[in-house]
Amino acid sequence: MELIWFAFFAVLLAGYFALEGFDLGVGLLLPVLGRTPERRDRMVAGMAPFVLANEVWLVAVAGVLFGVYPALEGEVFAGLYPLVVTMLLAWVLRDAGLWFRRRLDGAGWRRFWDLMITLGSFGLSFGWGLALYAMATGFSSSLLHPPGLLLGALVTALFAVHGRTFLAWRLPGFLGAPCPGRTLALSALAAATPVLIVLGGSAGYLLGNSAPPETLNVLSIMALPFAPFMLGAQVWVWRTFRPSKSADQLPSFF
Amino acid sequence: MDVLDLARLQFGLTGSLHFLFVVLTLGLAPLVAIMHTRWVISGRPQHERMTRFWGQIYVTNYALGIVTGLVMEFQFGLSWSGLSHYAGDVFGAPLAMETLVAFFLESTFLGLWIFGWHRLPKWAHLACIWVVTLTAYASAFFIMVANSFLQNPVGSVVRGDHLELTDFGALLTNKALLFAFPHVIGAGLFTGAFVMIGASAYQLLRRTAEQEFFTSSLRTGVVVAVLGLLVTVGFGYAQFAVVQPGKFEGDTGAALGLGFMILIGDLLMLVVLFLMLPVIYWLPRWRWTHPLLLMMTPLPFLAAVLGWMAREIGRQPWMIWERLSVADAMSPGLTPGMITMSLIGFTAVLGLLAVVDYLLIARAVRRGPAAPALGAHPDADTRAHALTY
Repeated sequence: MELIWFAFFAVLLAGYFALEGFDLGVGLLLPVLGRTPERRDRMVAGMAPFVLANEVWLVAVAGVLFGVYPALEGEVFAGLYPLVVTMLLAWVLRDAGLWFRRRLDGAGWRRFWDLMITLGSFGLSFGWGLALYAMATGFSSSLLHPPGLLLGALVTALFAVHGRTFLAWRLPGFLGAPCPGRTLALSALAAATPVLIVLGGSAGYLLGNSAPPETLNVLSIMALPFAPFMLGAQVWVWRTFRPSKSADQLPSFF
Repeated sequence: MDVLDLARLQFGLTGSLHFLFVVLTLGLAPLVAIMHTRWVISGRPQHERMTRFWGQIYVTNYALGIVTGLVMEFQFGLSWSGLSHYAGDVFGAPLAMETLVAFFLESTFLGLWIFGWHRLPKWAHLACIWVVTLTAYASAFFIMVANSFLQNPVGSVVRGDHLELTDFGALLTNKALLFAFPHVIGAGLFTGAFVMIGASAYQLLRRTAEQEFFTSSLRTGVVVAVLGLLVTVGFGYAQFAVVQPGKFEGDTGAALGLGFMILIGDLLMLVVLFLMLPVIYWLPRWRWTHPLLLMMTPLPFLAAVLGWMAREIGRQPWMIWERLSVADAMSPGLTPGMITMSLIGFTAVLGLLAVVDYLLIARAVRRGPAAPALGAHPDADTRAHALTY
């Protein structure tokens, strides 16, 4: 049972990196690839239908952390307090930017919220690198350690590449030659690699700190039957919003 | 103020802010789902306009519900790790169910609903908003299961230095839950109804071109308000039969919250049931009543926050009633500097965003149902052109 829940946890966390990674990447690239307001609108419209379905993977990770690894939850958050607060604020601003950018007309309004999307995406991407390094080293070193900063830069770069690949896949013609789904899967794997390595290294520790069997049994009976629905809903999102010439032609809500 | 006070203040402020948006989400979700159903069945443009206009207000409100909710979820780990150490094996189960199953599906299907306009087959699109409504209620249920466990820790035994789960069923039939959950659902409906009434009153007062639309919305609002108020007030008083003894006696904060909430609830009940419902047919035409209706809109929100104050301040000094004190539940390493930084950051950012969001909702109301962004058609521009020329 511990193994099943570890696998579930690993899939959710790696899935977050593989999926939300490209949303954050697109956010990072807004000032680079979106020099004009029209191009920024197209970029946001390209990722918009996926964002709600992607960011929720991390919400689920936190839920599993509380339910399956209650002993570790406090340790992780206490060790990373300033970083977690900063990343949460970055996440909040990124989301607010997406929800608000088209609610008022006016170039200044939209430019401001686009900047929030980029800053928020950067805070989250870079923060994940710092957080992964801190987790891998057992919260022993300071948060702004050189290897941690390097990992932050690496995760940010991986997400940016992933975001670019996603745009090339979803919006054929936006960045030159269209990109096949296989390439997107590869960049997703690359985006998830850092977290997969950390998960592999901490598997034994996580397994040893699982909640007792009674709790895991209840969670399994209640939650696992819904896993096919969760997966099905995600598949439906990808089928509905697959790439097309007009993927960004509808007036987008974000 | 010491660290504990600051941590409590942070949770109280962000929690109150979160619930202001959640309570409207819970009320509007089923109303929008019903409007969408009527549209799919009848195919009438009026029903489409209803769905898009109230849907736009619903999703604008939803945005702040999400971001304040994120901060709530992570605060358990940030400030209250003692809770997960002591009772994580019990308390974690409903919380995991909420995020893993309910919110995961809710968010995914909300994305499908918002961006599925003109892409999904109409029945599939309709199914999305019903799944969103259902999972929103499931979310509220699991959160109330978790909160009720704090009020009345059933289904568990103390083993060594922590609680262990013995009976999950007892968590679901907790007497602190059975009346409180419908109370919250009723409060959501009556809040949603009051927003409908207030928005309609504003549009009718200004004599805009949308008289028919808002006449119908105002009447719907009054009927739903009656329904919601009866459920809320009924299950509100029913809770006195099961409340912890002495809960509202020790602390003035809890007693005041309770007193004023009951005052607002009873007053609105009288007004809606005996003054508004009997004249529901004429109400849309009596313009002198509309400023009053407009001014009543914030009252359900105020009552909702007061209700939570009564329930949560009344639980003090316990995190888990007579098992774990709030002081013992606080994360051990928390320093005044850390909590001050996060308190300022969260309150400033979320507070500002909340103000912006309410202004955007007010603007959507003022603009009326002419052209909401939600569900805008690909050739909306050309159609507008055709109408102009």
